[in-house]
Amino acid sequence: MTDNPIQGLPVRRRDVLKAGSALAAGAVVPAALRATEASAATVSTLVIAAPATPQSLDSNFDVSLGTFEAVAALYDNLLEFAPMPDPKVGGAFREDIADHPDKQAGLNVRGKLCESFELDPAGKFIRFQLRQGVKSNWGNELTADDVKWTWDRKFGLQAIGAFYLSTLGLEKPEGVKVEGKYTVSINLDNPNPLLAKLQPNLYAPIYDSKKCKEVSNADDPWARKFIENNSAGFGPYRLDSLTRGQQAIFKARPDYYRGKPAIDTVIFKEVPTSATRASLLQGGAVDIAQYLQPLEVMKLRGAPGVTIDSVASSFMIWLELNANIEPFNNVKVRQAMNFAFPQEQVLKTVFQGLGEPLTGCMPNIYAGFTEKFWKYKYDPMMAKAMLKDAGFPNGFKTSLAYNAGDPVQEPIAILYQTALREIGVELELKKIPAATFYNAVSERKQPMIFYVDSPWCPDIGYSMTLYFNSGSFVNYSNYKNDEVDRLLKDTARTADQAARVEMMTKAQEIVMSEAPWVFIAFPGYHFAHRSNLKGFTYYTSNNIRFQDFSRDA
Amino acid sequence: MATATAGAAQAAPAPKARGGQRLRFFLAVLRARPAFAVGYAIVSMTVLIGIIAPWIVPYGPLVADPNVYLLPPYAAHILGTDGTGMDIFSRVLFAPRVDLTIAVLGTLLSACIGSSIGAIVGYYEGQRTWRTAIATFVMRSTDVLQAFPVFVFAIALVAVFGQSVRSIILAIAFVNAPIYLRLMRSQVLSIRRMRYVEAAYVAGASDISILVRHIVPNAMAPVLSQLSVNIGWSVLLTAGLSFVGAGVVAPTPEWGSMIAMGFQNVVTGQWWPSVFPGIALGLTVFGFALVGASIEVLADPGRRRILSGSLS
Repeated sequence: MTDNPIQGLPVRRRDVLKAGSALAAGAVVPAALRATEASAATVSTLVIAAPATPQSLDSNFDVSLGTFEAVAALYDNLLEFAPMPDPKVGGAFREDIADHPDKQAGLNVRGKLCESFELDPAGKFIRFQLRQGVKSNWGNELTADDVKWTWDRKFGLQAIGAFYLSTLGLEKPEGVKVEGKYTVSINLDNPNPLLAKLQPNLYAPIYDSKKCKEVSNADDPWARKFIENNSAGFGPYRLDSLTRGQQAIFKARPDYYRGKPAIDTVIFKEVPTSATRASLLQGGAVDIAQYLQPLEVMKLRGAPGVTIDSVASSFMIWLELNANIEPFNNVKVRQAMNFAFPQEQVLKTVFQGLGEPLTGCMPNIYAGFTEKFWKYKYDPMMAKAMLKDAGFPNGFKTSLAYNAGDPVQEPIAILYQTALREIGVELELKKIPAATFYNAVSERKQPMIFYVDSPWCPDIGYSMTLYFNSGSFVNYSNYKNDEVDRLLKDTARTADQAARVEMMTKAQEIVMSEAPWVFIAFPGYHFAHRSNLKGFTYYTSNNIRFQDFSRDA
Repeated sequence: MATATAGAAQAAPAPKARGGQRLRFFLAVLRARPAFAVGYAIVSMTVLIGIIAPWIVPYGPLVADPNVYLLPPYAAHILGTDGTGMDIFSRVLFAPRVDLTIAVLGTLLSACIGSSIGAIVGYYEGQRTWRTAIATFVMRSTDVLQAFPVFVFAIALVAVFGQSVRSIILAIAFVNAPIYLRLMRSQVLSIRRMRYVEAAYVAGASDISILVRHIVPNAMAPVLSQLSVNIGWSVLLTAGLSFVGAGVVAPTPEWGSMIAMGFQNVVTGQWWPSVFPGIALGLTVFGFALVGASIEVLADPGRRRILSGSLS
């Protein structure tokens, strides 16, 4: 396939019209996009309009938009969840993350960089037999040393890697043992049920240690600078170029151990405005438009040549009620705030009916989720009565911080403000710039603040620990309940899935009753693409993998 | 000075007759230049609507009704509703209360501060005393302030002071003050050499007395003509700040904030949440610009004489 996507194509009237519409769209997008307007028409090139290009290619430090699409293309993990057809959307796939007691590790996982694996039934070690002959994009063969170096890097640099080490309970580098050229094991002091489940995670890609060691030095022993801007992995693509703020280009690797991907060149374009991304998709200038607003999704649903695959996802949106700030240290007030939230109206207006009500405290697609403890149907009278019981018969004044960069948050806040007036609560809205919003969340100084997140490991214990363990960094509502902490600790130390689910059901009951959040919605995942693009697969990390796609000629 | 003023008073007609004469002249000007009349009409209407808005709007400007979200203009909501079901007509009518309050207060504050400093700087400049050094320092500081892009500077100020109406007023005052400072300084520099000022000095009047009684009243005309233009510009700045999220807090009815809330909907076909506040904003700024242009003509004796000649 030629690198020039235009070369060799016959010029037809339709192409001319398409190019015309693309040029019109080009007037409102960065100049850099114009050079590739026609590329969406070619079979072997994929053009993606994304809100941002990756700021870094190192998932140990960066969680910005685009980083994980890049990491998933450049690197492979040891294991992956097997795909299955999506039950709702024909032609789409998703990871099979259900519990499978009949399968190894109780999961439907399969080897990616490893040929096979052996998991200790007690959950204290996992041993991988690596594939032989797998080459990195630098031509170096995969060995157990690469796996060892990858985990040593997490110990050496800490950062996000440290979170994964503590989640696994891996306390020292010696826990990862090279047992042969192609055999490596991870050994824990205490049993951990996540030993296999965490391996497909995008925070656990395997690096080409030989290349990384070549480019490292005394000041940078873990090749931080190199990995930030380049790739040294065993994934299906290599990085061709990265111009931050404009575009990243990825080229398929002909020597990829699973065969060269169908899409030869991927152009990942930065188009900051969602409306512009939608227009580009509609005009045929791009193949995929990411992160569109509900109204745009609804408009594109009827557009010729465009398909929207709406699948259930791990995304959740909620309001953190800061338990360290009055009056949200009072459980009754938190419950009242939930009864006063017009959830149904928000889903109908802001989400255009594309989402589902958030009726629990973890993703509803994960095994063990239950909505039987949901009781917060909109009821302002009940809310008012609860406020009176809590000692606030005349309401109170508080504030809600929202992200200026997320267009759904402001209308939700305005609807909530109107609803709260009915029960005497005066809500001041604070618009926080997108660039500093995450700081505002992690400082935990706002009485109420929006949060959108998804736990990437499809596990009941992991999900609940993330948001409700009093020691968790991501517990932004400062929620603390000793019994919940105990249940979470016990769940993290047993491999008996039935017992884990039982304990976490109890934890869900307590959390739902104590309402540390205002529960808003499961917004779903809405993949907007040209209709001739096939192979969409939903991952719990809520991003796409270029290697999944192919296109009808 | 006292003699000169007395002489002028003797030559002038009685105050009542003079007032009637001015009004006739003003009306004649409006007939001759209808654009000025349009400007005064727009500004008067905007102010009036802002004052009586609570009594004429059909819905509360802060009431979101999700049952009627994003409806196009129709009988019950003549300008339609926005994405949260708020009535755009009610909000457009309420917006002058915020926009004009911010713009007028910000501009007046900047005129007071800028003119005061400008008068002092102009009076003492070139006298070879320590006060001259201070005057020079003030002027160079003004150069630095004016070197910043105004909008970016205003955003930075709001970020420093915190997002509130008071902060926006302060930001507008701060970015506008150098304009009045320079304007007043240049006026004072020319007036201070007038013979009536020298006479007051010889008569033993203090510096403050000379400035306040003899110089500033005679230097105010260009400042006043600048005020109207600046109010219009400040309305635009307020809306701009709100549009980028640095202005008033949502859902305060304010034109820029309303445009920002609705602009994403334009692409999906719901143009009304942005377009109507945009029209209101454009008309208001246009009105203040026309009023400013008229004041510029009326305050300039030369142009006024020419206009009088053409009217007679």
